[in-house]
Amino acid sequence: MTDDGGTEPLAMDFEGAGDGRERALALLLLSMADDEFVIGFSDSEWTGIGPILEEDVAISSLAQDELGHAQALYGLLADGVADDRDADTWAYDRPPEGYLHARLLDHHRGDWAATIARRYLYDTADSTRLEAVAGTSYQPLRELVAKIRREERYHLMHVQTWIERLADAGGESRARLIAALTTMGPDAGTVLAPLPGETALVRHGLVTEPFQTMDERWRDGVGVTFRRLGLAELPATADPASARSGHSNAFRALHAEFTMVRLSEVGATW
Amino acid sequence: MTDPLALDPVLPLTERSALPFNDEQLDHDERYRHFEEHVTGGGKVESTDWMPDEYRTAVLRFVEMHANSELMGVLPEREWIMRAPTLRRKLALTAKVQDEVGHAQLLYRVAEDLGKPREAMIQDLLAGKTKFHNVFHYPTKSWADIGIIAWLVDAAAIVAQQALRDSSYAPYARTMKKICWEESVHIMHGRDVVLTMATGTADQRASIQEALDRWWGPLMQMHGPRSDRAKDRDLHWRIKAKTSEELRQEFLGIYVPRIREIGLTLPDPDLALDPATGVWGYGEPDWNELRTVVTNHGPKSQERLDFRRANWDATQWVRDAILSAPRAAVA
Repeated sequence: MTDDGGTEPLAMDFEGAGDGRERALALLLLSMADDEFVIGFSDSEWTGIGPILEEDVAISSLAQDELGHAQALYGLLADGVADDRDADTWAYDRPPEGYLHARLLDHHRGDWAATIARRYLYDTADSTRLEAVAGTSYQPLRELVAKIRREERYHLMHVQTWIERLADAGGESRARLIAALTTMGPDAGTVLAPLPGETALVRHGLVTEPFQTMDERWRDGVGVTFRRLGLAELPATADPASARSGHSNAFRALHAEFTMVRLSEVGATW
Repeated sequence: MTDPLALDPVLPLTERSALPFNDEQLDHDERYRHFEEHVTGGGKVESTDWMPDEYRTAVLRFVEMHANSELMGVLPEREWIMRAPTLRRKLALTAKVQDEVGHAQLLYRVAEDLGKPREAMIQDLLAGKTKFHNVFHYPTKSWADIGIIAWLVDAAAIVAQQALRDSSYAPYARTMKKICWEESVHIMHGRDVVLTMATGTADQRASIQEALDRWWGPLMQMHGPRSDRAKDRDLHWRIKAKTSEELRQEFLGIYVPRIREIGLTLPDPDLALDPATGVWGYGEPDWNELRTVVTNHGPKSQERLDFRRANWDATQWVRDAILSAPRAAVA
């Protein structure tokens, strides 16, 4: 593989051979894809039971966007690794502990306030990460991120409106939002916790700034909104070393659900 | 996705006022006579037109049940969104269920214009006072059901819905154009799921056949018992265009050959086309089952209604929050 986006296979040396470029790129793609895959599942749990019909339709669109992004990112990974695993194999055929999504997305769906809190924290962090990947030296990812950012802009507008409305409505609405932010707050920073191989990511221009810098920029932006809404500042990230491992029982239950049909006949075409 | 045909402009107000039943100077009986003449002659009615109560009530009841069916119809399929076995299937099923929710929203809006608020329609549905279609009272037991529902339940529905594109109530007819366009995409998705399994492993094939056997009875009941064309007020007012038997024959004519073509069998020994008359014969559907099911005594009726009620209650605070006036900005 060349820096201008050639097609040589990625060596999936998760043990860390060479100077670590391929491994770091694979981890970046997989972590981004798993994040989008898992939040897409959480959002699609609202399809058909949204709080109002108009929002039901909206959250289904968000879910489809996220799953579409996951599909494209798994596709890049499959092209790069070129070991006969396709996007579906990457998405479905790993044990729960093999997923690299951030711990923020390990919380079960929860109520509408939890959904908005998760979406807000994730979308703002993801948007910061996308800014840092927009100028990546890996051309296929650069092209994909340009497309993803066009859609994510609308996701941000949607969730910004909701968080303001829930916070400003006071009463039960505000109390539920605060409870959700309190539960998820310590995990919010896991989206931007440094990946293994970060040094190689930065050295090869795969991301254009270190995760620490992204995290600071993201916290500044969230801080402005939270202060305006009278919400408490986000706490520091709990246990950043295990930001993307040791997944919760809620995720294990989700994993059992989404592999149910596929595992009923392994190897069949669906 | 919007079908441009669904955006046909409505007649301008000046043209509507030229219609005699809109003339406020005439007495009720005369307006009624002009209205009936207009509608039975193929004329369209807009929401702003004068209309007899009988017509308004009939359209409202018809559209409300359709909206309820779309809303309740998302539940059997929704259970499988989380279990879809590939990314493509997951995306297609999410999009399909989203379409059904969107149809419910469009149809409740059409019904609202006839004078019943959406909240009241949802409350009546949750209280079991209004009905929804028979096929949405049954369980989904396997992934194969997702294929059979999207292919054949949607096909049976589209046969009826295509005829509604000519409904005398113009806002409903326009909405049906958009809905039919989306339903035709669902049928392609369903057929693809069925074909993939029918040409897959022995277990997948057995699973599809089992699902078809289970759904065939409800599918044959779906359009309702034969009725007398002359006594059907919905036909008289041209709210709908075809009798239940005409719809069932149309469905059988298109889909029985397609089902057999892929090697699946139908669980009705009497099902056969009479070549002389072109009419399909079939074993008498279980009309008692239909009556039992649509009065909310089906195998999943209460569970689905309970689920809807629980979700409606759990999200009441959200509706309260967004319908309330925003508080002054927090310092």
